Amino acid sequence: MAEKRKKGTRIIRQRPDRRANRTILIRSLFLMALFGLVVFVPLFFKLWQIQISQHDYYQELAVQQQTRDSTVTANRGTIYDSQGAVLAMSATVYNVQLSPKDLMETQETYREKVEDAQENGGTLPDYPEPTDQFVAENLAALLDLEVEDVMSHLENKNSQYEIIKYRVEPEESEAVQAFITENHLSHGIYLMPTSKRYYPKGSLAAHVVGWVNPNTDNVGAYGLEAQFEEELSGQTGRVVTAKDGVGTELLYRFEDYYDATDGNNLTLTIDATIQSYCESILQEGVEQFDVQDGAFCLVMDPNTGAILGWANSPTFDLNDPWTVSDPVLLQYLEDIKSGGYTKEEAYTKALAEGATAQEAYDAAIQEAEKDVLYSQWANKTVTSSYEPGSTFKSIVLAAALEEGVVSESDHFFCTGVAQVEGWTGDPIRCSDRDGHGDQDLAKAVANSCNPAFIEIGKRLGAEKFYDYLEDFGFLETTGIDMQGETTGVIWSREKFTNVDLAVASFGQRFQVTPLQLITAASAVVNGGHLMRPYVVSQITDADGNVLQHTEPTEVRQVISEQTSERCRTILEKVVDGGTGKNAAVEGYRIGGKTGSSQTLKGEDHTIVSFLGFAPADDPQVVILLAYDSPKPNSPGSNYTEDLWYISGGNMAALKAGELMEKILDYLGVEKTYSATADVIVPNLTGLTEADATTSLKKNNLSIRVVGDGDTVTGQIPASGATIPGGSEVVVYMGAEVPTDQVQVPSVIGLNVEQAKAKLSAQGLYLKASGASEFGSTVVAYEQSVQAGTSVDRGTTIEVRFTDSTASGAGL
Amino acid sequence: MVKRRRDLTVMQQLARGPIDIPFLMLVVILTAIGVLAVFSASYPTAMNEGLDPANYFIKQAGFGAVGLVAMFLISKINYQTFRGLSVFVLGISIVLLVLVLPFGYGKSTVGAQRWISLPIIGGFQPSEIAKVGVIMYFAARLSKRNTEKHKRLPPRHPLSGLHAWLDEKGVLEPIPYFLILGLVAVLMLMEPHMSGTILVLVGGASVLFAAGIKLYWFIGGGAVAAAGLWVIMTKTSYMATRLAIWKNPWDDGMNGRDKGFQIIQSLYAIGSGGLLGVGFGKSRQKFLYLPESENDYIFSIWCEEMGFVGAAIVILLFILLVIRGYWIAVHARDRFGALLVVGITTLTAVQVFLNIAVVTNLIPSTGISLPFFSYGGTALMIQLAEMGMVLSVSRQIPAPKQE
Repeated sequence: MAEKRKKGTRIIRQRPDRRANRTILIRSLFLMALFGLVVFVPLFFKLWQIQISQHDYYQELAVQQQTRDSTVTANRGTIYDSQGAVLAMSATVYNVQLSPKDLMETQETYREKVEDAQENGGTLPDYPEPTDQFVAENLAALLDLEVEDVMSHLENKNSQYEIIKYRVEPEESEAVQAFITENHLSHGIYLMPTSKRYYPKGSLAAHVVGWVNPNTDNVGAYGLEAQFEEELSGQTGRVVTAKDGVGTELLYRFEDYYDATDGNNLTLTIDATIQSYCESILQEGVEQFDVQDGAFCLVMDPNTGAILGWANSPTFDLNDPWTVSDPVLLQYLEDIKSGGYTKEEAYTKALAEGATAQEAYDAAIQEAEKDVLYSQWANKTVTSSYEPGSTFKSIVLAAALEEGVVSESDHFFCTGVAQVEGWTGDPIRCSDRDGHGDQDLAKAVANSCNPAFIEIGKRLGAEKFYDYLEDFGFLETTGIDMQGETTGVIWSREKFTNVDLAVASFGQRFQVTPLQLITAASAVVNGGHLMRPYVVSQITDADGNVLQHTEPTEVRQVISEQTSERCRTILEKVVDGGTGKNAAVEGYRIGGKTGSSQTLKGEDHTIVSFLGFAPADDPQVVILLAYDSPKPNSPGSNYTEDLWYISGGNMAALKAGELMEKILDYLGVEKTYSATADVIVPNLTGLTEADATTSLKKNNLSIRVVGDGDTVTGQIPASGATIPGGSEVVVYMGAEVPTDQVQVPSVIGLNVEQAKAKLSAQGLYLKASGASEFGSTVVAYEQSVQAGTSVDRGTTIEVRFTDSTASGAGL
Repeated sequence: MVKRRRDLTVMQQLARGPIDIPFLMLVVILTAIGVLAVFSASYPTAMNEGLDPANYFIKQAGFGAVGLVAMFLISKINYQTFRGLSVFVLGISIVLLVLVLPFGYGKSTVGAQRWISLPIIGGFQPSEIAKVGVIMYFAARLSKRNTEKHKRLPPRHPLSGLHAWLDEKGVLEPIPYFLILGLVAVLMLMEPHMSGTILVLVGGASVLFAAGIKLYWFIGGGAVAAAGLWVIMTKTSYMATRLAIWKNPWDDGMNGRDKGFQIIQSLYAIGSGGLLGVGFGKSRQKFLYLPESENDYIFSIWCEEMGFVGAAIVILLFILLVIRGYWIAVHARDRFGALLVVGITTLTAVQVFLNIAVVTNLIPSTGISLPFFSYGGTALMIQLAEMGMVLSVSRQIPAPKQE
């Protein structure tokens, strides 16, 4: 420290020393080389490695942590009926999600608040402590869950995603939201939006619409929901947002949207009203005829191939497809459980696998439940086939007429038994064991005469017959836009023998799907055009733009316009006095063919069906209605418990008539008047007797005068009422109009004349429907107003008649 | 001018010689870039703390401006003055290093007692002063080592022969320096402040080395340091973890979410920069991913925003600064100036190297800030003051002989 003493001499104090300076120079240069260059080389190397060589690797990892990639669920498309009624729609609902981890933090916050309040004298929180128990109990109560289940979720302390209930309804989610708000639990309980499929019309068109499986992310499982999954589901969107290190979103930074594209909407050709008619007709018939194995009904517009109604029984509620509600299926399950009969196979299999008797029993029941579910979900009209029976004769008729092998003037003689060369089984009998005797072509069809059709088939020949099977589309699927379509079971061309031809001529020993049959039948009556059936009329996007419109597609022309017209005329006679007379509806010209098919289940299992179309001169609808296996009252019997004769004519035609009338009324098809057609009573007040008589006559009504005034002062029925044509109107001329009510008598079991007399005695009118030929065997079985009800004088009572005889029944 | 010049002593005239423009420009450029880097890197942190986004930037810019003025003023001082000041600077820094232990702070934030708060100056790290103090003192003393009187033991002392022999071989000469370094190092390790200790040792050693202390000391010292380092790294759990993380940052027992987190985030930042970077101000990693993004890891953000090119430019600027520093040292008028500049330059170079080596995971992490870049007002001021000393030395470089 001596150097500091004299300021001025400092510079001299440090003596020049060449050697020392040289050392410093050399060593400084060494340091320069080392720290000015050498040490930085590895830095460049390392930076190059990270920034250039491994750039992609690090960038990917960085972007991964910096961005949040969230999906945006697309709204599933809506399914509408042809009139715009919603059959299936999606709505936002919520999953209730717990985060035990977050909840712990909330609990910690609460404790801190309490401590803080105690130490600093502040106010305690005004809501209860959010203990696990508290949360579990409340949520369980709100969501109808078990407290223990919620508690077990809460025990996963590290978890943030414990979904305790999926897709809760709005009222529940609102209650949960209120609970969260009240108790400051927004950090711990979350409502996560998701979507739920709703079917506003429940079971309506269940097999067509189909359903989505909420357990597999709402993917379509059955029906159109599955078939049009891609169209309906839309495109899930993504939002990529930047977030900072603690997860907060950085707004307006690096956002990237991939919009969710909402699913497209389907508009069906199905009309909900017609559909509901079909379903109720099925339901009624199933109950009425003790039907065991379900039923189906198809309604098609023959000119386009559009399906207007498509019903299956048993059915189910689309909103809850796993629940069995059909009484027949429930009864079956009951029978299995009570041991009435068992799922033997499942039972023995379980036993063989070492299960106890109880387990085997359970396994059998499980198996049965599975069967029942599949059976209620299946759209049997496309997924399975059946023997068409006599309904198929309409096709054979068309082929024979087209080929010119028969004509209306041809006569067939039926002895009741048909002889077929090479046939080895029991003799082929006609429904009328005594034979139909001599009949012309129309009569043979109306009688559904098997020997006649065996003859017709023979005239066609196996080759031609088979050609028509092909042309009418029985060897291929129809190509309908519905999943699961199969074809029937038909001989190959090479194996198609004359014996096969004989039985095929009256629709037996081969199988077709109901859809194939109705499609072919449409071609028979629509002028010969085989149309491709369809059920989706158009696809629109979320904004309503039409993406795809289904135009009617003609697959091929099978028969000529003329042949088709001849078929219509002949088939109309089936309803007009033939086996299908129970399908007759006053005012409408209906044609059709009945059928009773054998099934593989054997004896006592018959499918009764009716294939019909109307109006007969210009068909607007074709229907195929069938009931599978009405239960005979005893084995081998032809009657059900309620003494309905088991046949297409007595069962299916009867119900088909009702259905046809409803549909035609709904479609606004004009009735063609006959003598007894309904007329509207004109207003006669103020007219003279002569004028009133003229006015009534114009309307096909007669007059009965009461009183002796100059002009009409009152009338029964009142003006505007609809009564059958030819009825009598009571005109009061000065006399007082009686205003008392009359009791409706019972006419059940009476024939038309008797019923009419009984009703008019009470001042009531009869409107008869049902069997078209009102002979002595035709009796009333249903009346529109119950006996004993009081009604106004002049009221029209609708009475449905049926031919109770077994004639022509089997077919 | 002519009149005034006559009034000045030779020394004063020399002190007003031309400043070294390249070095000055490099310092100014680096400071400017550094302040800008702080702006970009600090605003998410500032916002997160509820401060004005420019809060850190304004402070840093203020310190930078004041620092540059201070640097210029210091460069005006005849550096011979530092000879006399050196012992005080060293003394004061030792006192502060002692005082920081009971009175300092930093335990709660970084787990080490490194800061001390003084009136007017505010909070700063005594270790920053200690680095300068050691370099100044060593330079001052070692510049006169050729004239220093060698102590001799009385001839009759039993060890006088050995002593004389050792003295002749240069064994005894550095011992006082080692004692000083030892004292400072121990004090700093008590904070603890590992990286500061390393820098003080490096700074001191560089002056000793340049001054001509026998090479075997450095070879031996290097060997001892290496052995010590090996022991620390392998035998202590603290360093063992650091070493493991250095080898694989994801291997911290929590898949990189614990101790390896910072270095992983740093690598993400540097790596996503690529060749040209994501653009100034557009770093994503600074949004609360990379801890200390405006401080020790500011260079990572710089790499992310400016890419390899931007990073290389900054390193090149540092290299130029360092080389120019040594250039000034070898051209200095006297040995004190040379040693002073060597010490300061080496210190700066090592600090730059260590910082960048750490953020690129070239070496295990130690908390070393990047000169001119890392946020910290007093650190920047002291840094610039050191540059001022270098510039002061540069003023007295004799003009090259004409012709």
